[in-house]
Amino acid sequence: MLPSNIGIIGYGSSVYEKQATRTELGYFADAARAALMSADVRKNEVDGISVSSTTLQPDNAVTTAESFALSVRWAGVSNAGGAGALVNVLDAVLAVATARARYVLCLAGAAQDSGFFRDRISRFTGSIADYLAPHGFGGTNGLFGIIQRKHMETFGTTRAQLGRIAVDQRANARMNEAALLRGPMSLNDYLHAPIVADPLGLFDCVMPCAGAEAILVGPLDRVPPGKGVRVLAGRERHNHPVGEVSPLRGGWELFRDELFAEASHEPDAMDFVQAYDDYPIMVAIQLEDLSFCPKGEIGRFLEGHHMTWDGSFPLNTGGGQLSCGQTGGGGGMIGLTEAVRQLRGEGGARQVPGAKRGLVSGYGMVAYGHGLSASALVLETA
Amino acid sequence: MSPLPQPRETPTNTPMLAAWRQEGALALQRCDDCGAVIFYPRTVCPHCWSPRLEWFRAAGTGRIVSFSRIHRGLPDVFQAEAPIVLAEIALTEGVLMIARVVTPAPDTVASGMAVRLVAPEDAARFPLPTFRPA
Repeated sequence: MLPSNIGIIGYGSSVYEKQATRTELGYFADAARAALMSADVRKNEVDGISVSSTTLQPDNAVTTAESFALSVRWAGVSNAGGAGALVNVLDAVLAVATARARYVLCLAGAAQDSGFFRDRISRFTGSIADYLAPHGFGGTNGLFGIIQRKHMETFGTTRAQLGRIAVDQRANARMNEAALLRGPMSLNDYLHAPIVADPLGLFDCVMPCAGAEAILVGPLDRVPPGKGVRVLAGRERHNHPVGEVSPLRGGWELFRDELFAEASHEPDAMDFVQAYDDYPIMVAIQLEDLSFCPKGEIGRFLEGHHMTWDGSFPLNTGGGQLSCGQTGGGGGMIGLTEAVRQLRGEGGARQVPGAKRGLVSGYGMVAYGHGLSASALVLETA
Repeated sequence: MSPLPQPRETPTNTPMLAAWRQEGALALQRCDDCGAVIFYPRTVCPHCWSPRLEWFRAAGTGRIVSFSRIHRGLPDVFQAEAPIVLAEIALTEGVLMIARVVTPAPDTVASGMAVRLVAPEDAARFPLPTFRPA
């Protein structure tokens, strides 16, 4: 069980930019400043740090501490791509619980643009560089096109059903001034967008961008009631299912029962879900694996719900990565900062009425065919 | 040398690359201890961690499990060949791989379709084992 007196006490997001105008540290600093301000914690009280970034290497959490003139007692770095930021925050809660640190600043983000990403994805992991890029694999779009087609042909899922994710998230983004993509999008727009990697169209594919997110973990009594967020439960899973190349599941299904049991809440008790949205098909697979609907039935589930912030199933209420852009490793934290914003009642024009509890899930570390890493947290207003 | 991106040559994958470049053949590894067939090339068997991996010639045949026709977002050197068909292929030997399927009629590609390696004289055009409809 996780400690009930330790949790998330601050959060912040930098601007998102299509072209990077500064280094990772510039975006981290913006997000971190906002996180400290939201908790009313001073910089020199921070004694732990973690970083999840796809562009920071060869730098890491310790060198980031040096850049920010922080003397820290605990430092962690993610190796789980877009699933890593949630793992970092879970580890930070445990670091504070075991007195390794008192205030841990968790950072995630990247300084990148589409051209940089296109070059980098071809070298993202060794197996991609050697056994996928030489085929002309089109970044990750081709890999997720293979997965989406398999889901469509196995279960009868349609593009019109999956498109509801992208369309409703865009409606959410229209209430989020920070989102890079805020133009109106109808299902017709989605269906008739240029095909990128059949069956994926333009609005299925996340846009790489620059930016960062920050979460501050510490004792919950440091902030007023209603401004802290308790992590009720968290889990991670890597390299499941073993030996498959384009699986229709990702590991969330192995831990969902104990995740919800530890949280003492069922999926229907969640006021919102922030799922990792590099592609709508992966949101769909996460929702199935996390048992919001049975495997293979996501199409009908999506048809039966509105995923807008004021809908029956609020999903990626800030627009998600599909509308904000994907800030490298920050894409694994954007759902968490949005969740904290909602649980503190600071969602502004997109505030989910009465939001007290929610689920955030992560996905990442694409290798030979699919992402290897899955994670999830259940959160509640403290 | 082809302008296409090439795999890094290592002691681990040289037998596969040599079989492809010299003969247009597909070489796979089989674990001497547990019998698993392995792609992509490894230094130890991922199933039983044995280092005793033997190379053998695969039939070069399989079936498409799923696929994508990639039209956009390709590196410049591939753009003239768009759409590129990238497929998950279940090889006759029982192992899964992702590979390119070349055909003058990409619209006719379908899941379940039988595929085999391109003709040996065409192999040099492609950095890695590449398939065509059987």
